[in-house]
Amino acid sequence: MSSRKKVLLKVIILGDSGVGKTSLMNQFVNKKFSNQYKATIGADFLTKEVIVDDRIVTMQIWDTAGQERFQSLGVAFYRGADCCVLVFDVTAPNTFKSLESWRDEFLIQASPRDPDNFPFVILGNKVDLDNRAVSAKRAQQWCQSKNDIPYFETSAKEAVNVELAFQTIARNALAQETEAELYNEFPDQIKLNANDNSRNRDGDNCAC
Amino acid sequence: MSCASDISKSSEYMSFRSSIPLRKIVVDSDGSKAWRIFDSGPKSVSCPLICLPPVSGTADVFFKQVMGLASRGVRVIAAEPPPYWSMKEWCDGFKRLIDYLELDRVHIFGASLGGFIAQKFAELTTNCPHVASLILCNTFTDTSVFEYHDSAALFWLLPSLVLKRMLMGNFTTDKVDRRMAESIDFMVERLESLTQSELASRLTLNCSPCYIQPQLLSDIPVTIMDVWDESALSSKVREDLYKSYPQAKLAHLKSGGNFPYLCRSDEVNLHLLIHLRQFDGSELSASYLSLHKMPTQSNNPEEGTVSYFNKREKCVKIS
Repeated sequence: MSSRKKVLLKVIILGDSGVGKTSLMNQFVNKKFSNQYKATIGADFLTKEVIVDDRIVTMQIWDTAGQERFQSLGVAFYRGADCCVLVFDVTAPNTFKSLESWRDEFLIQASPRDPDNFPFVILGNKVDLDNRAVSAKRAQQWCQSKNDIPYFETSAKEAVNVELAFQTIARNALAQETEAELYNEFPDQIKLNANDNSRNRDGDNCAC
Repeated sequence: MSCASDISKSSEYMSFRSSIPLRKIVVDSDGSKAWRIFDSGPKSVSCPLICLPPVSGTADVFFKQVMGLASRGVRVIAAEPPPYWSMKEWCDGFKRLIDYLELDRVHIFGASLGGFIAQKFAELTTNCPHVASLILCNTFTDTSVFEYHDSAALFWLLPSLVLKRMLMGNFTTDKVDRRMAESIDFMVERLESLTQSELASRLTLNCSPCYIQPQLLSDIPVTIMDVWDESALSSKVREDLYKSYPQAKLAHLKSGGNFPYLCRSDEVNLHLLIHLRQFDGSELSASYLSLHKMPTQSNNPEEGTVSYFNKREKCVKIS
């Protein structure tokens, strides 16, 4: 029964401003694209139900403001993340170079239990444009050097690979979430506290 | 009390109690009935966020929302009703409270019973709207989910000990982390402080046959906040709520038990801000600051810090 429990997957999208984070999320969730650029402020999220290996899972996808990279987004935002999506613009080499620091930023803020195996997915967006400046090979090499992070070339505008990329994101997030669950089954340290608390509560009752 | 819970001993709670007065407001002809409220933030805001507690809660269970959102300029009112024995009586009393406080409209963050009543109040005032928006936390649209319909008529004569036992049975303590355990301790403490008539009246409202007609509320922006661990509502009840409000924003939390506003307050406050942000700049704004505004880059974080995510959230200042 517990394995059929409904699962919530928290996915965080990071990357420089203007690379298309919001557009990718909108294309995936709403199947819509707008050419008009509107900077995201703070952070926002959308939810979508997807089916991964015959399981219905709910993805909570957090879109962030690219400009806020030097500000702390706070722990609440990163807590419980199951997958981190790093986006760059294949026509803007700077956004590719930033991936490293976005990844570091995430690992510092979210401090996942097993940082080496935490699922990341890299999206090289805007492949519909002609003025490409980062080759697929270069991106792939970087991903391989980082413990084989999955890499997708996407176009939010023309809906290229978006569905496929988010399927992978969901699958990897689900694997991560299942592992996190396993850890939660054995809260040795926490159990002690729980006992402590129930003792306190008995005390409360006596006092009345 | 000699063995106060960790939360009521915390410096955050103490600074809340020492900086924001508990006001008692009588709006009924019966002078012994008083609403208890904590009203924080700029009084110039006439469309505040009002927090309504669950059966076992008092107004102060929302102290983390009051403290957390105040720094973003949001006026938050945590309100606790006197004993009302019918939904109609409750809503009339709440309307008089809103009038007394000279509020135009209100955003309501309602937890469990508080969320149910918030929907009912919005439904009863559709002709003369008082509700700007709803944030429904771990709540429901039909009291039949509690399967107490038959006995609800008898709650008024049960001794408070029995009523407390009934409620505490729902406070599961297995599979909880430290923060959840602390929130349960705090809520048990609040529950102990309630009188028989307060408890009996709230349980009567919670369990008497009553349901919401969500189609009447389709114009009201709604965020549904719910917790996906096993201690809170069943997934059936949660699904029913989604279906009732297909237009709602769904703010799911992975864990947090029955009282996420206490034990997951940073996440809850983040969702509250995202919800309230849509009213920025309109007459329905709950804040005197723009919730959209980027945080200032200066080293003076005391003024104009309206970032959703700044580290200052952790520290509480008594000014």
